[in-house]
Amino acid sequence: MRVETHTCPNCGTVVAANVLERDRRLRCPGLDCGEILDFTDLSEEVREHYETNRDRYRLE
Amino acid sequence: MKGLILAGGTGSRLRPITHTGPKQLVPVANKPVIQYGIEDLREAGITEIGIVLGDKGREEIQSFLGDGSEFGVNITYIIQGEPLGLAHAAACARDFVGDDDFVMYLGDNIFKRGLTEMVERYETGEYAASIALQHVDTPRQFGIANVDGERTVTELIEKPDEPPTDLALVGVYLFSSAIFDAIDELEPSWRGELEITDAIQSLIEDGHAIDSHVVDGWWKDTGKPEDIIGANRLVLEDIEATNDGEVHPEADLTGRVDIGTGTTIKAGAVIRGPVRLGENVTVGPDSYIGPYTAIGDDSTVGGPHIENSVVVGKSELTADTRLVDCLLGRGANIASADGLLPEGNRLVVGENSNLKL
Repeated sequence: MRVETHTCPNCGTVVAANVLERDRRLRCPGLDCGEILDFTDLSEEVREHYETNRDRYRLE
Repeated sequence: MKGLILAGGTGSRLRPITHTGPKQLVPVANKPVIQYGIEDLREAGITEIGIVLGDKGREEIQSFLGDGSEFGVNITYIIQGEPLGLAHAAACARDFVGDDDFVMYLGDNIFKRGLTEMVERYETGEYAASIALQHVDTPRQFGIANVDGERTVTELIEKPDEPPTDLALVGVYLFSSAIFDAIDELEPSWRGELEITDAIQSLIEDGHAIDSHVVDGWWKDTGKPEDIIGANRLVLEDIEATNDGEVHPEADLTGRVDIGTGTTIKAGAVIRGPVRLGENVTVGPDSYIGPYTAIGDDSTVGGPHIENSVVVGKSELTADTRLVDCLLGRGANIASADGLLPEGNRLVVGENSNLKL
């Protein structure tokens, strides 16, 4: 299964693409990092994959 | 080589302790479980460590570990989100790992002997992976490995009806970057997770050599309260007696007792080691602390007999009662109901608590 991530440009925290797809826009989870991470930080092709396959990246 | 510690999961089997914090920070012998993993990796020469975090407890774990410098390592945090399986957690670390080999260590596991021997053997061979194994009495309850005479893994079977061996997979794996290609090809299992055993089995079927290492000494998964108490007992077996506190000459101490800074043991207290007392603990007269007990920082023991127990910290235990096999969360207090009317226990008990009165 495809697994993509995005690295915060400010603090280096790595965030799974399924978190970005779920939350869409979030403050970086790195402690004391104020960077705003957005689903659109991922490439269009990755975003389309995660939106198309949303259920596979979520537990019921 | 890099290290990867998995610290997600909900800790549901450790409730109510985990209502207020992640299971990886529950102390065993007064040290958070995850710290054992950090120290094992560092002792094996691995100082670049990724910590995979879920949705629960990630602020607390980051607050405790920081950037790793306090523990002699350099930490990168990796946010997995939902617990989509060990293989998903590993795949989230792909950019962190790069082309290096890496150790994957379950953050709620503790090993007596550490990782050094396993890492050294892996580095001398041409393996795509290595797995830690341990002989178990109930192989039908575990993922089981079949190995040949050279300790090369030939097959992995999840909870087999007819186990070919009693060698269960335990919480440490070594991988080359080949594991990522195997994970790419995986599909979620019936429970919706990407299973690391499926990824390793895929490597085997593709002709890769998988080494194995039978763990020497004990191994503990600390997922349940009785596991925490059991691990606490095993760790305390090996402690040294130290005294950084103040012990009254008329206190009665025997066996190995490790006493933290600022701790006071008053006249008339009785302690039978192995026992570890954290910092700023007060043990009053008429108290008895028996073997295999760890009392966390800033606690007071003033009256009870307590043994084979874990007290996380900031507790006041003043009832004249016997406490055995207890796991008491931070700030839990046990006082006497003597003299209160109507007679009876007064309990304020959180969700999922267990009491035997």
